[in-house]
Amino acid sequence: MDTTVFVPLDEGTDPTVGGHAGVAAVRARKLAKTYGRGAAQVRALDAVDVDFEAGRFTAIMGPSGSGKSTLMHLLAGLDSATSGQAFIGRTELTGLGDKELTLLRRDRVGFVFQQFNLLPMFTAEQNIMLPVELAGGTVDGEWFATLTRTLGIEDRLEHRPAEMSGGQQQRVAIARALIARPDVVFADEPTGNLDSRAGAQVLSFLRRSVRELGRTIIMVTHDPAAAAYADRVILLADGRIAGEITDPTPEAVLAGLDALRSLEGPVDGLDGDATSQAGA
Amino acid sequence: MLRLTLAQMRRSIGRLSAAGVAIVIGTAFVAATLLGGNLITRSAFDAISAQYARADLVVSTSATFTPQTVDTIRSTAGVAQASGMVQSWQGLVGGDRTIFQQVIPTTPDPRLMPLVLSKGAWPTGADQIALPPDVATRLSVGVGDTIGLQTHGSDSETQTRRLTVTGLVDDPRNAYGGGGGAAVMDVTALDALQKADGGELTYREITVLLADGASLPSVTAALRDAVPHASVVTPDEHAQAVAQRLSGGQDLFFLIFVLTFAAIALLVAGLVITNTFQVLVAQRTRTLALLRAVGANKRQVGAGVLLEAGILGVVSSLIGVVLGCGLGQLALTIAGHTSAAAFLPHSISVTWAVVVIPLLVGVAVTVLASLVPARVATRVAPLAALRPADGPTLEKGSAGRVRLVLSVLVMVLGFGLLALGAALGTVGGDAQMGLLAGIAGGALSFVGVAVSAVFWMPRVTSWSGRLVGLSGPTARLASANTLRNPRRTAATSTALLIGVTLVAMMSTGAASARTSLTAQLDQQFPIDVAVDALGDANGAADLPANVVTAVNQASGVRAVARPKSASLVVGGIYAAADGSIGLTGDGTVPTPQNQVSTPVVGIDPAQAKAVLNDPSLVKDVEAGSVVVPSFQAYQWHLTDGSRLTLTGPTGPVTLTVVVDDGGHGIGSVLLVDQADLLRADAHPAQSSMWVALAPGDLSAVSAIQDAVGDTGAPVTVQGAAVERASYETVIDTALGIVVGLLGVAVVIALIGVANTLSLSVLERRRESATLRAIGVTRGQLRWMLAVEGMLIAGVGAVLGIVLGLVYGWAGSLAGLGVMGPVVLSVPWRDIVLAAVIALVAGLVASVAPGRSAVRPSPVAALATE
Repeated sequence: MDTTVFVPLDEGTDPTVGGHAGVAAVRARKLAKTYGRGAAQVRALDAVDVDFEAGRFTAIMGPSGSGKSTLMHLLAGLDSATSGQAFIGRTELTGLGDKELTLLRRDRVGFVFQQFNLLPMFTAEQNIMLPVELAGGTVDGEWFATLTRTLGIEDRLEHRPAEMSGGQQQRVAIARALIARPDVVFADEPTGNLDSRAGAQVLSFLRRSVRELGRTIIMVTHDPAAAAYADRVILLADGRIAGEITDPTPEAVLAGLDALRSLEGPVDGLDGDATSQAGA
Repeated sequence: MLRLTLAQMRRSIGRLSAAGVAIVIGTAFVAATLLGGNLITRSAFDAISAQYARADLVVSTSATFTPQTVDTIRSTAGVAQASGMVQSWQGLVGGDRTIFQQVIPTTPDPRLMPLVLSKGAWPTGADQIALPPDVATRLSVGVGDTIGLQTHGSDSETQTRRLTVTGLVDDPRNAYGGGGGAAVMDVTALDALQKADGGELTYREITVLLADGASLPSVTAALRDAVPHASVVTPDEHAQAVAQRLSGGQDLFFLIFVLTFAAIALLVAGLVITNTFQVLVAQRTRTLALLRAVGANKRQVGAGVLLEAGILGVVSSLIGVVLGCGLGQLALTIAGHTSAAAFLPHSISVTWAVVVIPLLVGVAVTVLASLVPARVATRVAPLAALRPADGPTLEKGSAGRVRLVLSVLVMVLGFGLLALGAALGTVGGDAQMGLLAGIAGGALSFVGVAVSAVFWMPRVTSWSGRLVGLSGPTARLASANTLRNPRRTAATSTALLIGVTLVAMMSTGAASARTSLTAQLDQQFPIDVAVDALGDANGAADLPANVVTAVNQASGVRAVARPKSASLVVGGIYAAADGSIGLTGDGTVPTPQNQVSTPVVGIDPAQAKAVLNDPSLVKDVEAGSVVVPSFQAYQWHLTDGSRLTLTGPTGPVTLTVVVDDGGHGIGSVLLVDQADLLRADAHPAQSSMWVALAPGDLSAVSAIQDAVGDTGAPVTVQGAAVERASYETVIDTALGIVVGLLGVAVVIALIGVANTLSLSVLERRRESATLRAIGVTRGQLRWMLAVEGMLIAGVGAVLGIVLGLVYGWAGSLAGLGVMGPVVLSVPWRDIVLAAVIALVAGLVASVAPGRSAVRPSPVAALATE
């Protein structure tokens, strides 16, 4: 599409990538993470600066080892950064203790996992309510009804995870992530374990929950087709922001990835993954 | 296959060692028990052989030897010296105590004397004695002091002779430890004493020393010829034979008794093993399926599991044996520093049985316990290798219907038999049959309960979980977790249930026995403690002053009454020549020879009422009347309202008869008001004390008994409290031992709880990480596991307590019913204690699993594999 812009970035660029008018729900400033020591040291994330606006659906893309998962873990307060800062709203995550991080996740962050990670002994309804109950709050019945209706799981509420299909489980997981109205929802390869039809459904629901319910979602994926559902795609390579696509199409995303490859040389894994997903 | 098994074991080493601990404890228990059995046999042997000192031969007979036999032996060729073994008991008096002490004679050769002199000199004269140090202390004498020796003159009156203490003797090899040590007197003096007491001087055994260079076999043969019908053997052979005769039954009883508890502990260990292997098999489904897919057959897969169990069994059992031996040695070493040191050897004696039996039992239990998991392993389909690794799913609780029906049948039959036993014991009055039926029913029903636990235990856990879940989302998570593997939870709770049931049963039985016997004793004995001087033919004697002081000063004494007693002549009757009672109404005038005397007790009614358990017993005692036991009234032709004249040294009193037809009264004496007694006898004996104790405090009983024992006076101490004190000691000791032994099973079961929890934690790594990611704090996650542990342990404990109460009551009814009405009581203290211990243990069991649950970062939840 015409609006699609591919902007290769280098060191000197303005730190706030994008520069859209929206309020940043999540921000990273010179965020870095290294694993190991000495010769074995790996820079998983190298001084990343990025903003994610509230009320938008952003995808983080990149080949395996590009640092996209690490970035997400740091932004979600699941892991601690080696240096730099991460913010959710006005709260700086770096420097918070385990307990504060846990409570922050409970109250302000939602998660959707590749493996769904529902509790097998609880029904769908109990799974959805869990975050609110853990926080000691009461469930907003109207919001619960809206969510389950939007996600199409109203008739599955009494079922346990083992009695549901993968797509249904993931939709329950999305409801669980949204029930507490978190500031931001992180989705990690939400379609990785689903067939393409169920995957497409889940992605539509994610997009609807942004457009119709006003939520903020950050999704990590290596599937260009999935990334195309987002409002904006951040491209990551070698632990750095390598580019960004606004209002992407699958073709634009693929083109962006190709451009990455021509810049950085062939990247193992990306090629096969991208084509197989595109072909599916 | 072996290499694969070893590799898998290495991977699961943590899980296996937790299960192995259960077997280690069980086998250590068995090994320690067997060592204990050895110890009993050996200390008996040591004590017996020690008595022969360094003798070369022991000549013994089933009849007796005379001093002539000793002379015959001495004159036999090759014999250097011989000594007749004498053990006599003598009353020694020192301070205000009288001690009956074993006394042995000096020997003609020091090599035949088992005791050694620690101080002073051996006795040589007729009025000398050497004492064991503790006896000297109790008699408050030292070397050079004198003590009294009670002798009986020709008129059988007790006389006291003075003996000088010449020395103190030690008993290094514990030859006489079992009999409270031995004092030594000169052989001539002791022989003389023996003759004065019993006339003949005889021996059961004669110890022999060989002359230098004499050959043992030839002297043995010569002695066999010289002393016909006698056994001539070495001291060791003799001791062996005697020890076997003495303790053969004893150590067998000990072994059977203790090994029963070891068996229970091993059964519980087996449950823990089954649980562990079931989880291991479940976790290895993919590996097992892969094996099947590449060509392993079912048998090989099952054999792999059994092989693993076998290896675990061998290793754990060996550790158990070493641990058991180590504990045994430790116990001996510690005991070596106590007063029991003399009775015990310095080191344990490890026989082949101590090693082999626990090893075999341990391996057998481990392998048997893994049979079911092995069968589950064979059912893994090769296809399972191709399926993606699923997250943990709910186990399908599909235990067989056959199992349900069978276990219910067994339960119904068992509880029926139990009820029958209780009925036989109470209504039927047949304690033996009642107990037999009760035990059979109890065992049967318990098997049914344990086997069917998988059906109902999850339900009970669910109800309790729902209750617990009301307290918040963390607890709700915990209770949901306990239900995801109903079988595993049930097996874990059952392991604890077994131990707790038995402990609660014993404790309930003991409590019921205590209350029932107390109730009966209070009826049987009107007084808590009655202290009576026995008196002699001349009539009642006063209680010694020091006894009176001791009783009055003993703590826990609530009230004391001092009845006075006198022997008074009963008017109106005479004893006929044939012993029957005749009435003077027939014209006979009683002479001092045929008049009838009877003990009459004079009480102060108010004082007596204060000490009697049932004050109504003396309600009829008042001035001017005499209470006559009904059988006496019948014999003497007295009825209510008759007038009876009693005559004493001071004069006659005539009183109105009240017949006591209660059947109990206070002994078989006539009761009168103290003032009336004084009119007949102005100086009555004060031979009794009636003592009431503060409720629940029996400490005064032993204080009174000690005081009486110290005086050596012929005084009896009896009554409800005395009986209660003696059987409560027995009950408490027995209960303590049994509960201690059952404790091992409970400890193993608690290890099982910890094991189950840590296995669950391993299975739920992803889930724990998810919970952490969505906002469960570390503390909440730990608390979740703690609640889970407490739920599993608590359900097992509470059900065990309920079952134990039922069994304890049924057992009491069956066994005690024949003695009178059984009071069923609830041992609240023990029950609360058991429940608290279970909850705390469940909490503690969750500590280590909790730590490993919170360790991984929540990032793990997002990892793909």
